[in-house]
Amino acid sequence: MMVKKKKLSKIFDYFRDEDPFAGGISICSGCPMELLLRFMSKVLGKDIIIVGTPSCSAIVLYGQNIGSWHKLSYYGCLMTGVASSATGITRYYRKIGKDVTVVCFTGDGCAADVGFQPLSGAAERNENFIYICYDNEGYMNTGVQRSSTTPFGAKTSTTPIGVARRGNETTGKNLPFIIAMHKVSYAATATLSHLEDLAKKLIKAKEKKNEGFAYIHVFSPCPTGWGFPMDLSIEVCRMAVRTNYFPLWEAERGKFRLTHKIKKSRPLKDLVRMIRKFSHLTDEEMGMLEKEVHERYRLIEGVTQMMPLKETP
Amino acid sequence: MNMKYKGEMRTITGNAAAAYGAMLCRPDVVALYPITPQTEVVEQLSRFSADGLLDAEMVEVEGENSAMNIVAAAAISGGRVFTASSSWGLAFMYDALLQTSGFRAPVVMVNVNREMPGILAVSTGQQDMIGTRDVGWIQIIAEDCQEILDLVIMAYRLAEDFDIQVPVMVNYDGFYLSYLSEGVNIPAREEVDVFLAPLKEQPERPKLVPGGPLGCGTHGIEKGFVELRYKHCAAMERAKNKFDEIDRLFGESFERSYGGQIEEYYMEDAEIALLASGSASGTVKKVIDSKRKHGLKIGLVKLRMFRPFPSERLSRAFRGKKAIGVIDRSICFGWDCGPIYMELRALSSEIGLIPMMSFIDGLANMDISIVHIERMIDSVYAASQGKPYQRVNWVILEE
Ligand SMILES: Cc1ncc(C[n+]2csc(CCOP(=O)(O)OP(=O)(O)O)c2C)c(N)n1
Ligand code: SF4
Repeated sequence: MMVKKKKLSKIFDYFRDEDPFAGGISICSGCPMELLLRFMSKVLGKDIIIVGTPSCSAIVLYGQNIGSWHKLSYYGCLMTGVASSATGITRYYRKIGKDVTVVCFTGDGCAADVGFQPLSGAAERNENFIYICYDNEGYMNTGVQRSSTTPFGAKTSTTPIGVARRGNETTGKNLPFIIAMHKVSYAATATLSHLEDLAKKLIKAKEKKNEGFAYIHVFSPCPTGWGFPMDLSIEVCRMAVRTNYFPLWEAERGKFRLTHKIKKSRPLKDLVRMIRKFSHLTDEEMGMLEKEVHERYRLIEGVTQMMPLKETP
Repeated sequence: MNMKYKGEMRTITGNAAAAYGAMLCRPDVVALYPITPQTEVVEQLSRFSADGLLDAEMVEVEGENSAMNIVAAAAISGGRVFTASSSWGLAFMYDALLQTSGFRAPVVMVNVNREMPGILAVSTGQQDMIGTRDVGWIQIIAEDCQEILDLVIMAYRLAEDFDIQVPVMVNYDGFYLSYLSEGVNIPAREEVDVFLAPLKEQPERPKLVPGGPLGCGTHGIEKGFVELRYKHCAAMERAKNKFDEIDRLFGESFERSYGGQIEEYYMEDAEIALLASGSASGTVKKVIDSKRKHGLKIGLVKLRMFRPFPSERLSRAFRGKKAIGVIDRSICFGWDCGPIYMELRALSSEIGLIPMMSFIDGLANMDISIVHIERMIDSVYAASQGKPYQRVNWVILEE
């Protein structure tokens, strides 16, 4: 009897190795960062060295005492020393003539704030490693505080809503753009609703890291800290792309390309209404958030026209 | 390829001596950031690299914190590494210094001692070294330019020894030694290779390899942590005798040795003694020479290793003396005295209840002058004769 095989999704073609993580690991249910960690490891392969920091991801990467939740080679360092530690590892392996894939895996709090100096330094020197920042728009591991990528108006535990103050007062850093402007070999944005786009970017980063610095900024919403049901994580990712809140692009040495152009963008309200950290926004505040999102999109659209990156076949 | 280097006698600064020392040891990764009075080390190593004498990955970092993280990670990957800094640079590495020792990364660094706090206190002083005494590093101190070069070479033998695997900080006085030119016997590269060769015969230390199972920084808590902490302490203890042994072996190879953890100068028959460290020790020796001519039985112990503290050898050296004076080029905040003095006091029960005097001198580029030292000796002598004495003396302010 013929058994009709179910056709696997194309995404499986991108996997090099099996998932190196244990089944039950201590990350909140529905956290896209966990998915990213597993996905990244499968696409990049098991012969990588991960460099990470205290953060939500550390809980899993570090393990506990002598136990480990994964089979990867891991260098756990301080929030201040990720990109520099990765530099040390790659430089040593370069010295002895051995190809190695070093992957920094940190939150936005490390990348945009306390670990920014070494990140910028490594980007400027175009060091040969990959840096993946999962952006959950805040310090989640310490209990949802604001970071410098927290968007305007967002409620966090350090930007609470009261009579005197109403959420985050700044518009936040455009970190992936800042890194791309270091003219690194590769910089890209990605998220977990667009897995093929993410997989291609991971593979490209692995290639490009031979020429220099490769950076991927992954939008990684946090059900626990932002306030949305855990089964909506991927929907939030998708909506962030559709509203142009988080455009998907890539850049090589200062030349830019949108990798997933939105023909007709959805109104930002469709995203904002899914997330409790924005639930207090007045129309005026909403307008300010919209203005920032719009400006950022115009910026990236502008540079893709001014400094276009040709699509590689 | 590191180009051949024959070795020669040259007049060079302390900073250049440090750079030569590092270059001769063939580090794989060097990460440096300039700061007065260390800058010349950075420039000199960059020059060596440009001239083909140093075949290392040179990282011109954007700050000292990164320099330390880079060399620590490169060391954990299996490399030999070098960095250098001073004062605020050392302070800016503080978290990374702790991480490095916690990882037992065999990093060798040079710290050119500079005064702090006080941003404009661009001057010598050991406060930077003192501020990092509890970060789990081995700290050793040089007296002159030759000793700087020699200590850098010995530091690799110590840090990378399989039984030790603790980072080593080589200290020398900024300004007084960093910019002082002296005749230095620079060994040939092959001689240094031979001296460091036994490290290659030791078991391989654990390394970070792609796909390998090593996880670093994963101490976790509770028992796993305590075990690693205990082993680190034990390695620090072992470093004392190991340093004596390395010093002896160095003497066999290069015909220069210094006494290991401490150098004893006329201590055998001394009735009173001084404890000093760094460049001032040379001046103290001169004064002792002349005092001895006048029949005063005085000796000097030069502290060469500050961490781990050479408690056994110090106790032995000072036992039976009638009075001791300790010269500190830094102060112990929260106590009223110098830090080396305070640590020596912890050995009171081994040494005996004799007068011990703290002399705070040489802060912020003030000379620890012959006149000062003579005054110190006079008061230590008076104390040894049962006269009343002042326990803590700010020598500079007494003028
Ligand atoms: C130097 C330093 N400061 C503060 C902390 C405390 N801390 C631990 S995790 C964390 C937040 C990390 O935020 P992020 O990098 O965005 O990762 P996330 O927690 O969001 O996964 C902070 C501030 C630390 N570990 N090190
Ligand atoms: S707090 Fe947020 S980012 Fe952290 S593990 Fe939970 S869902 Fe993920």
